[in-house]
Amino acid sequence: MEYIGEHLVIGKVGNVFVILSFVFALLASVSYFFAARDNDEAPSWRNIARWSFRIHGFSVFGIVGTLFIMLYNHYFEYEYVWHHSNKEMPMRYILSCFWEGQEGSFLLWTFWHVVIGFVLQRKAKEWEAPVMSVLSLVQAFLASMLLGLFIFGEHRIGSNPFTVLLREHPDYGAIPLFQNADYLKLLDGRGLNPLLQNYWMTIHPPTLFLGFALTIVPFAYAIAGLWKKRYTEWLKPALPWTFFGVSVLGVGILMGGAWAYEALSFGGFWAWDPVENASLVPWLTLVGAAHLMLINKNKGQSLFTAFALAILTFILILYSTFLTRSGILGETSVHAFTDLGMSGQLLIYLLFFLLLGIVLLIVNWKHMPRVQEEESIYSREFWMFVGAIILLVSSFQIMFYTSIPVWNKLFGLKMAPSKNIINFYNSWQLPFAFLVTMLVAIGQYFKFKHTAPKEFVKKISFPVIVSVLLTALFSWLLHYTNFLYILLMFSSIFAAVANFNYITHALGGKIRKAGASVAHIGFGLILLGALVSTSKKEVISRNTSGKSVENLIENMSNNDNILLTQGDTLPMGNYYVAYTGKRFEGINVYFDVDYLTKQNNTYTKEFTLSPLVQTNPRMGNVAEPDTRHFLTYDIYTHVAYAPLESVKQQQEATKDEYTAAKNVSMKKGDTIFSSNAIIIFDSLSTQFDRSEYSIGADDIAVKAHIRVLDIRKKYEATPIFVIHENSVQPIASKVDELGLQFMFWKIDPQDGKIEISVQEKKSNIKDYFVMQAMIFPYINILWIGCIVMAIGTMMAIIERLRRSSSN
Amino acid sequence: MKKTHILGIIIIAVAIGAILTTLNSTSTYASFREASEAPDNEFHVVGKLDKSKEAVYDPKTDANVFSFYMIDNAGTEKKVILHKSKPQDFERSEQIVLIGKAEGDEFHASEILMKCPSKYNDGKPQASN
Repeated sequence: MEYIGEHLVIGKVGNVFVILSFVFALLASVSYFFAARDNDEAPSWRNIARWSFRIHGFSVFGIVGTLFIMLYNHYFEYEYVWHHSNKEMPMRYILSCFWEGQEGSFLLWTFWHVVIGFVLQRKAKEWEAPVMSVLSLVQAFLASMLLGLFIFGEHRIGSNPFTVLLREHPDYGAIPLFQNADYLKLLDGRGLNPLLQNYWMTIHPPTLFLGFALTIVPFAYAIAGLWKKRYTEWLKPALPWTFFGVSVLGVGILMGGAWAYEALSFGGFWAWDPVENASLVPWLTLVGAAHLMLINKNKGQSLFTAFALAILTFILILYSTFLTRSGILGETSVHAFTDLGMSGQLLIYLLFFLLLGIVLLIVNWKHMPRVQEEESIYSREFWMFVGAIILLVSSFQIMFYTSIPVWNKLFGLKMAPSKNIINFYNSWQLPFAFLVTMLVAIGQYFKFKHTAPKEFVKKISFPVIVSVLLTALFSWLLHYTNFLYILLMFSSIFAAVANFNYITHALGGKIRKAGASVAHIGFGLILLGALVSTSKKEVISRNTSGKSVENLIENMSNNDNILLTQGDTLPMGNYYVAYTGKRFEGINVYFDVDYLTKQNNTYTKEFTLSPLVQTNPRMGNVAEPDTRHFLTYDIYTHVAYAPLESVKQQQEATKDEYTAAKNVSMKKGDTIFSSNAIIIFDSLSTQFDRSEYSIGADDIAVKAHIRVLDIRKKYEATPIFVIHENSVQPIASKVDELGLQFMFWKIDPQDGKIEISVQEKKSNIKDYFVMQAMIFPYINILWIGCIVMAIGTMMAIIERLRRSSSN
Repeated sequence: MKKTHILGIIIIAVAIGAILTTLNSTSTYASFREASEAPDNEFHVVGKLDKSKEAVYDPKTDANVFSFYMIDNAGTEKKVILHKSKPQDFERSEQIVLIGKAEGDEFHASEILMKCPSKYNDGKPQASN
């Protein structure tokens, strides 16, 4: 069939860019390889290489631009556009659409590599050729992930973002929509996952991927150093990049935490989810690598370990990519990507770079310069080395547990991660965190080479005393009893205090040199904030509405949710909460909950929180929390359950409609309940003024007297049972104040029972939902720590660049 | 012996410790039958929701109990008591992973993981409204 209005040219343009970017990355890598050799041909190779990389780079920009144009114009004939966007979506989320899919996120990664490559081309000088050769090779591999070419029949290389929907899925041709040649007028996209429609999601992925991309620089320099046998010269140019990577990746990870905290309902900023671990672990090894590189640059020690960690970090980035993109995490993670058939390809790249690193390390091991004398235990380099090794062991523990699905696949096991996965990770990582923060605290008080023990004790005692006092105070204020928590609290405070003291005393307030100390203060604060906010996290939504607990098995009782019924006021934490009703805005349903305080029996409204549920017809319902931020704590609430099936009906229901009748049979004196009142059947009477109801003289008529009580008042309802010419024609009775209607249908003369029906107005039925609420104390320390750490790292980088340019 | 060697030995010991505790603190994927045979142990059971049977959630009685029927991958059906509120979009789940223990004829789960088809896989194209 000939389809009308498809924009096929732009896809072809995009594909030309894809092929160009792959071919020229390969060409750049090869020609940089020859340019890195010291012979007469090198300069001309370098020329070719430079132009190849430029063409590669502009092709990548071309792919990015093309994809943006397609998303912006809603070209749903393209699978990627159809899959990740729709017409209703606000334009500000176009960026999120761009990197929602695998192809887009690979593209983002490649894009940053190009930017880094352009900077290296200008700044790397004699290192340009070997470093860019490695970077271009990685680029060729990444570019191939977008090729979407079939080789040997079934094997597809890469997944192409420019495939046309109906060519990729010929079976869709059978769908009636596509029988129409003009189908584009009717087609809408599937839309963006509602979880990603959040402002954090427009800045978290580019930051995180810039962090990922930056790990290639120490890797490429390390490979280049081994290859050119310039074992120590690579450290100096690679160091600022490495610390920049530490800063950006760290911020990117915490932005992910902020997004999880703001937009996800698992209750916290960190859940040890495999996807989170996959980005944390390379950060830990990158921090280790950066510090080892520093040691070696200053003292010439730990060279081999510095090489190993710089290489390992990049390998771990590839491994993380493999874990999250291959679908292998399937059952253990909620937000892993599904397999696009590229896991084999990813595995090959991973093994290639792993082997390259190992072989180069082994070949060069014997030739590496060594320092013969052993480090003194009173030297800074010794403790920095120990710290880096602790980071390595810590990341090993995280990675080993996260890789359970991989072990299952490799060895045919059936292991499943523990239910208390968070506790398990914490029990390992808390001691590591303690050791690392202790080292962060004391590290700078040691000099390189050797420090006199007496001098060290003298200088460190003041911060130790201050930290002990602060820890004692906080432990008392927060009622800490767990010894491990107190230890970690001490070490984090100590890290912050000792580094602050170092700036004011040892550096004499010279802010220019304080970068490292400021970053360390930030690190201490991050851990302190994480410790306090998670260990003292308190679920305040205990069920106070009086429910049965007998069904609960002791160890499973999970009493973390509160049922809020419209109109009720329940105590929760330090507040009283009242659910005032739901609001509909677009696809969002907001549940307005007032927070009240009570004084002298009067309630004062303090604030309102409106956790919401997104009812996306194609993606399903997703709860999004609402959080009230205070200086010292946050109140975090989300919808655990809400009866949404009837949302549409309730919206349309007019307030005066009655519910379906409920028939009850009652004896005199019997009591039943409606949602808002007690109903008692008192008596029957036959003597009453019939004309009032225009009942004929020949009809049989009996009146029932029904007492209706609510909290404040007593009402009477008098439905009448009438038989008119052999048919029952009852006369209804209403209690308008309570929205109730009664009908009298039957009398059983033998046992005196009557049958009546009760109807309630729909507006009577109270709306309810189930909510979870938590308090995160002092979480602001964590966010402040993050900013401080980023600032400190940037200060250190600027100082390093300043010094190297003045040299 | 050099200090770095001592350090190396400590590291290896800790790493082995990490591996061993990892192996010890995992649960196992199992079927309902296997779970019933070892009622004291916690298992992960993978299966599908039986949509023909009733799923009961009555938050007015107890907001933290939800019961339904699941067929495990071996084909056995069991009543499941989940000690949590009913998850959003439960009916749309394609695959369920339960974490919990067998308890008589029932399976008591404390955690649930669901895979919903619509979120990550292709839904077929539809006309816009």
